[in-house]
Order: sequence, then C-alpha cells, then structure tokens
Amino acid sequence: MTARRKHEGNGSPPHSFLGPRSLTDPEFRDAVGAVDFAVDARYAWDTGVAISTYLRGLKEGRILARECRTCRRILVPPRMFCEECFRPTDRWTEVADTGRINTFSICYVRWDMVALDPPEIPAVIEIDGATKGMGFLHKIAEVSPDDVTVGMEVQAVWKPEAERTGSILDISHFRPRDEKLRTDAPKPFSRRSSETRKR
Amino acid sequence: MFEKLTDPTDVILHEGQIPIRHRYTPGVAGEAFFTALKEEGKLLASRCPSCGIVYCPPRLFCERDFSALAPDAEAGPGGVLESFTVGYVGVEGEPLEEPRALGLVRLDGADTVFVHFVVDAEELEIGQRVTADLLPKAERTGSILDIRGFRPA
Repeated sequence: MTARRKHEGNGSPPHSFLGPRSLTDPEFRDAVGAVDFAVDARYAWDTGVAISTYLRGLKEGRILARECRTCRRILVPPRMFCEECFRPTDRWTEVADTGRINTFSICYVRWDMVALDPPEIPAVIEIDGATKGMGFLHKIAEVSPDDVTVGMEVQAVWKPEAERTGSILDISHFRPRDEKLRTDAPKPFSRRSSETRKR
Repeated sequence: MFEKLTDPTDVILHEGQIPIRHRYTPGVAGEAFFTALKEEGKLLASRCPSCGIVYCPPRLFCERDFSALAPDAEAGPGGVLESFTVGYVGVEGEPLEEPRALGLVRLDGADTVFVHFVVDAEELEIGQRVTADLLPKAERTGSILDIRGFRPA
C-alpha cells in the first residue's frame, strides 16, 4: 500500500488520497484485479477495380496501365478516373517493365530502427510507356549504392511465376539496365532469383 | 463508363490485423476490494460519511454528494436477490451448453447492488436470500471470479 491509499477517515477531503497521479510501471503491471483484453481488430482492405486488375497483371508478369483519351495520359498505377479531366478513363494498356529513377533514397536503418546491411534503396521509378512522371515506388538492388543516380535506367526483376501472389512484390526489385553497373552483392530483399522476364 | 465488378471474389483483398491490447486496472478502491477478497475472503465496501450510503464494491467518492470515501466498510457475504436474468447465449452469440443466471444482489450492509452469477439454483425468485460462494483461498487470484457466484442461502 502506498501513502496515497491511506485515508485519514476524519471526514476532511483526503487530497493526497484522491490526488491525480499516474500509476507507476510496477503498479500497472502488478495491479490486483486487472483485466487484460485484446480487441480482435481484423480488417480487409479491398483494392478496387483498377488496382485489383493491376495486381492480377503483376502476377502474370505484366504492368497494366489505364489510358485517358482526353488528356492522352497513360496512368501507372492505373485508376478508373482521370483526376485531370474529371471523367472515367477509357482503356487498359500494357507498359514496359523498364523505366528510370525519378528519385531515390539510401536507407541504413529499417522503419523499426534495425540496422540494414547492405542498405536498401527505395526509389520512385518512372515506367517506360507511361506518361512522364508516372510510376511507382520500388526497391533498387544488384547495384552499389554509390552508383545509383537520378535518371538511371532500370528494369524489373520478377519473382518466379510460381512465387507471385498478385502483389507489388511480385517484382522482386529493379536493377540497372546497364550490366556494367550491376553487382553480385547479396540482395537485401526476398529470395534471390535468377529469372528475369524478357519481353 | 466505369467497369463494374459483378463478382465480389474478383476484388483483391489485403487482410490484416491491428494489435490492440488493453489492461484495465480497477483503481485504488477496486484494488483494495480485490486484495481483501483474495487474501481474506471479505467483500469491502465504502460508507459515505455525510449521507451514510454504503457502496459495494467500494468507491472513492460518493455519487450523491461527492464526499471522499475509503474502502473501510464490509458487506455480505449474504444478500437479497433483487433481480435476475437467465442467458442462453454467450458474449460472442454462441449458444451456451448450460444457461447461466446473472443476478443483482443487494449485499447485507450495502445500499448498492452487486452483479454476479447465480449458481446452484433450481428456481429463482426476486427477494430470495443468497450468499456469496467463494473459491478456496489457494485458488483465488484477485479476480471477480474468485466469487463463483451467489447461491441460495
């Protein structure tokens, strides 16, 4: 019993008894009669028409895009509505699995502060065949971090077909198109795959 | 126009789970109540020094006049069944093998009612005498379930 749990019992307001104070860690952990409860907070996030089709395309080793006939833009990742023309997009089209680095970062720590060795290189990749500026975030590997540049031409390295699940990670990573820039450094992500889709 | 999904299984779903864990601590009066229940098998209560109302389980202030209270009184273990209900489904909606009765019991010496199971009763009647059925001391953990329930006295 701590001091604040004593009560004078003389009818006067027991300020020390009622005074606001947080529980200390031992008080919290050892509280008699405490009830522990875990909320079963499960969710299912539906990827919608455009992204569902895009993800199914990735499973087949294809990057699908939507075209808007009014502004003639090719949208990657695809969306069913053109945010510039304010009208539905018109048709599906396939774009290349190559592109160039729009911007990148070199990460030496993971989101939870675990050191990464080798570092990971997330990059925004503008996809060839899509309108300039269109593309997505992915990882760059098989290259020394020192050699990565904005504008570098890269190509997708696909996971083996049997391992694809309809996810953006069906592309294992992107690597430089220039073979001279490629390294054999162990890939920081997923399983090493020698299979590269040729198109 | 928009493509419409007609087969809901066409939609790709990403399933996840948000880990949310709670620990409810019963507070100063609640801890005193559970400690006394576990160690001494007593049901603590608090008496308001100004209006005389006795709360069980104990409170730290009087709901009627806001006087400061302490868990310094005792109630029960006998009492009067003030109301009851019989449940046939559990909290998840699952059917119960045996229906369970929940009662409101006004413990002797207390002015408030206490919610708990009513056990070992064939027939329930409002106004009947019941008494708290405690687990043996070795099995008590400082939980409300240290009281098995109220059984007919």
